[in-house]
Amino acid sequence: MNPLCTPQEHFSRRAFLKGSLLTGGGVSVANFGSLFQAQAAVNEAQKNGKRCILLWMNGGASQLDTFDMKPGQPTAGPFRPIGTNVDGLQICEYLPKMAKVADKLAVIRSMRTGSPGHPDGIYHMHTGYKQSERTPHAEIGAVIAKYCGNLDANLPSFVRMGPTGNAGPGYLGPNYAPFSLQRDGRMPTFSANSLKPEVRERRAELFRFLETEFAKQHPAEPFESHRLAKERAWRLLRAREAFDVSKEWPKQKDRYGDSNFGRGCFMALKLIERGVPFVEIGHDNYDSHANNFVCHKANLQQLDPAWSTLLLDLEDRGMLEDTLVVWMGEVGRTPNINNRAGRDHYVRAWSIVLAGAGIQGGQVYGASDKDGRDVAENPVSEGDLFATIYTALGINPRKKHFWGKRPVWLTPEDAAPIKPLLS
Amino acid sequence: MNNLLNPKAFTLVKFPMILPHFIIVYLLITSALSAGEQLRVVIDREVSAAWAREKVEPVQLADDATFLRRVYLDLVGTVPTYKEARAFLDDLAKDKRAKLVDKLLVDKRHAKHQMQIWDLIIFTRNPANPAFTRKRDVFKSWLEKQFAQNVPWDALVRKMMLAEEPGSAMFHVQYRNKPEDETVAVSRIFLGTQLQCARCHDHPFEDLSQKDFYGMAGFFVRLQVLQETKGKEKVYTIGEKSSGEVLFTGPAADAVPGKKGEPVKLKFLGGVSPKEPALPEDFKEPDYRKIKKAPYPKPFFSRKEKLAAWMTSTDNPYFARAAVNRVWSQFMGRGLVHPVDDLKPKSEASHPVLLDALAKEFVAHKFDLRWLIKEIVLSETYQRDSAGPGTVAGPKWYERARVRPLSAEELIDAMRVATGFNVAEGIEGKMPSSASSYMLKIFGKPTDGRGNFQGGVPEHLYLNNGSQLRGIIRPKKGNLADTLLKSEAPWDERVDHLMLATLTRLPSSVEREKLVAYITEKKDDTRETQERLEEATWALLNSARFRFNY
Repeated sequence: MNPLCTPQEHFSRRAFLKGSLLTGGGVSVANFGSLFQAQAAVNEAQKNGKRCILLWMNGGASQLDTFDMKPGQPTAGPFRPIGTNVDGLQICEYLPKMAKVADKLAVIRSMRTGSPGHPDGIYHMHTGYKQSERTPHAEIGAVIAKYCGNLDANLPSFVRMGPTGNAGPGYLGPNYAPFSLQRDGRMPTFSANSLKPEVRERRAELFRFLETEFAKQHPAEPFESHRLAKERAWRLLRAREAFDVSKEWPKQKDRYGDSNFGRGCFMALKLIERGVPFVEIGHDNYDSHANNFVCHKANLQQLDPAWSTLLLDLEDRGMLEDTLVVWMGEVGRTPNINNRAGRDHYVRAWSIVLAGAGIQGGQVYGASDKDGRDVAENPVSEGDLFATIYTALGINPRKKHFWGKRPVWLTPEDAAPIKPLLS
Repeated sequence: MNNLLNPKAFTLVKFPMILPHFIIVYLLITSALSAGEQLRVVIDREVSAAWAREKVEPVQLADDATFLRRVYLDLVGTVPTYKEARAFLDDLAKDKRAKLVDKLLVDKRHAKHQMQIWDLIIFTRNPANPAFTRKRDVFKSWLEKQFAQNVPWDALVRKMMLAEEPGSAMFHVQYRNKPEDETVAVSRIFLGTQLQCARCHDHPFEDLSQKDFYGMAGFFVRLQVLQETKGKEKVYTIGEKSSGEVLFTGPAADAVPGKKGEPVKLKFLGGVSPKEPALPEDFKEPDYRKIKKAPYPKPFFSRKEKLAAWMTSTDNPYFARAAVNRVWSQFMGRGLVHPVDDLKPKSEASHPVLLDALAKEFVAHKFDLRWLIKEIVLSETYQRDSAGPGTVAGPKWYERARVRPLSAEELIDAMRVATGFNVAEGIEGKMPSSASSYMLKIFGKPTDGRGNFQGGVPEHLYLNNGSQLRGIIRPKKGNLADTLLKSEAPWDERVDHLMLATLTRLPSSVEREKLVAYITEKKDDTRETQERLEEATWALLNSARFRFNY
């Protein structure tokens, strides 16, 4: 077993007891090896109550104009740093509400990643693997859907909206495919059903009759999987009012900010509350090759109320300790400001922010050098980040899966969780 | 001789020089077929021998309706029309299955279906170098033409490797400037050998070293891709330089940035090197970047010609085996070596004698794909029922037919055939093309990582609520709903028609009763009857019997 992955991180006490009963009683550490693979334990891990919200900064937000400012250096922009409720931590003046919840944040200032473009960066920062590998890796939402979700739930386990990742469930398969909402949070077109409820019901009943007749002689798995997927789609439709926040929104829009992103964050809260284990909300567009500061000023003013209110609401509901909120994009931005007042893509040293799910808040991990051109200490790779995220959520980052005959692991071999961030 | 049939005795890589001779000798002195015996007989004999050995009980043979739908989907990628189904079921001729297979094999849809299957094997849904390869209609029509003319498999692959015919260049284009990736792909697809491990380190389980891998990559390292725009089309030409080597830097784990590697000796998979003449001293490589128009200059020595000839030669130990194993799996749901592209010497075949016989006879029949497919689908093994105990989709011992989901293309086409959309609208092809990439997204990858079917919620949201499906079910002059509503036959008969059109079979008496009752609940209300007929059609098109080829 991965030494970093203690049993406590994976299983509740109940799972442990259940698992050990199945393995014959003796509560001994030696049993964990076999317990680890036991189906009962896996089932329990899926209900471990851990959740994740990914705030996806599409295009790549500038670390130098948000969480890793370089006042007085040639690479600094016009934004001023402000103090936060954490001693010594300064962030951008356009994140004043975030400054008041900084004690919940773990800022990683030493991301050093390997995919500097958009498509490859988006893939890499959603899967932990390079896009050029031909194996279809599962993106973070699908992984969390599998390990923290429940296929029997009415709501989907992987919901996203706006500009987000697109790698899909890969080797995990359609059970863990994303349910994509429109940018403004509306359901996809196909979710609307024009049939009257009684017609829908009788049609469904006829379908079930035909399937039951056929199944009498044909018990093969694919037929069963087909039938179950149909039932899941119907359950989802019955639960669709969960996606409608229009009644509550008027009261919330001043708190979250009246933007698609703000509304998305509020919906994420509602969905998480109803047991959805993963929601990703994309925020467009940080790809500021020109006019970086105009772009960031506008974006940060939407980001600040949405993100901070989400954290506070999660905390109010006692959910922050089980919910990981990740703030990241596919790339950082260049320390040098180009002649169009823009910053280009940069992957040698940039920042990501984590909060909740037991992540130790109020700390900065790693550092960039004085101009922000390189990592000065504790470089963090994509794999390390995903190992940290999965560990925080009780998922073994070295869990083995298969693509055909070939083994694939949730994170690459050289990845390791960042211990100081995990409590 | 028995030893040779045992895959454990195959040590192709260790004794590469010896083995091909053994195979030739073996070809000369033994045959799995007795005089005049058909391959399908050998198939059934070997498969039953395995049942006896493994103590597996086979299920009965499939009825005509099951066979009809299965063989249509497998050979022409769609379901039969109501009329075709009716005619086949009513036909009393004993050899009607064989006659049907003969007819379908020369149907132009068969060539198209074969093209789609191989196009997906080569490019997958997510092709490499997508900027160049996403649109590849020219390649597809080239490939379809090869299947339509039943070009022998060796000739087809040779042409693809030589890339000299218009449209045939796409294989190499996919791996432009990526000789290592192309090495993996060519070995996997056409030689049934997985080399990717040896890319970064000597293969842990096989006698394959990194140098074997890079030796093979030398055949692709000199390839050049020229892109020209002719009208709206992008035209690609493959050129080949006369110099350039793969550089080998040692195991990936020991890699040091900036360290330059050693050139690796050119080597066929298995260890033989072609004789390569030295370049004249005064040879000057043309600057390929400056060539804007085809043709490219001929290389002093063409490595790709050597490779194409070696790959497709009758004594290549990998080529025919890899091909028959893939074709077998296409129809039987599972390779004799499984997965199909892992045919390395140490892999156990489930039916080793059968794999040898298939490969040997395929060579003896000059790589005739149509002949091979015909023998497979006319075997009793292919014609087993899919009903019966057991939940595995693809039984290892073929005691029951495999269950496979329809591909996105098959599904869309089958919906159109079933509802009479094509007849009504008089249009060839698929549902409105604007949705096709969307449809592929919804239906394109219904499996988990190990190839097991997994139904997806997006698929069902589309089927439950999408307007396209509703649109093709609704009555339109001449289509299925229209025909049934206008018919004056008793509803019993109309329900038979409905089932035959959609599921290619007649309903059981329980099903007939239920469907008639459902549709005619308010039979004086024409509007409600129409709606109920649409709902019943919807339920049939959504059923597992439609979603799968079983």
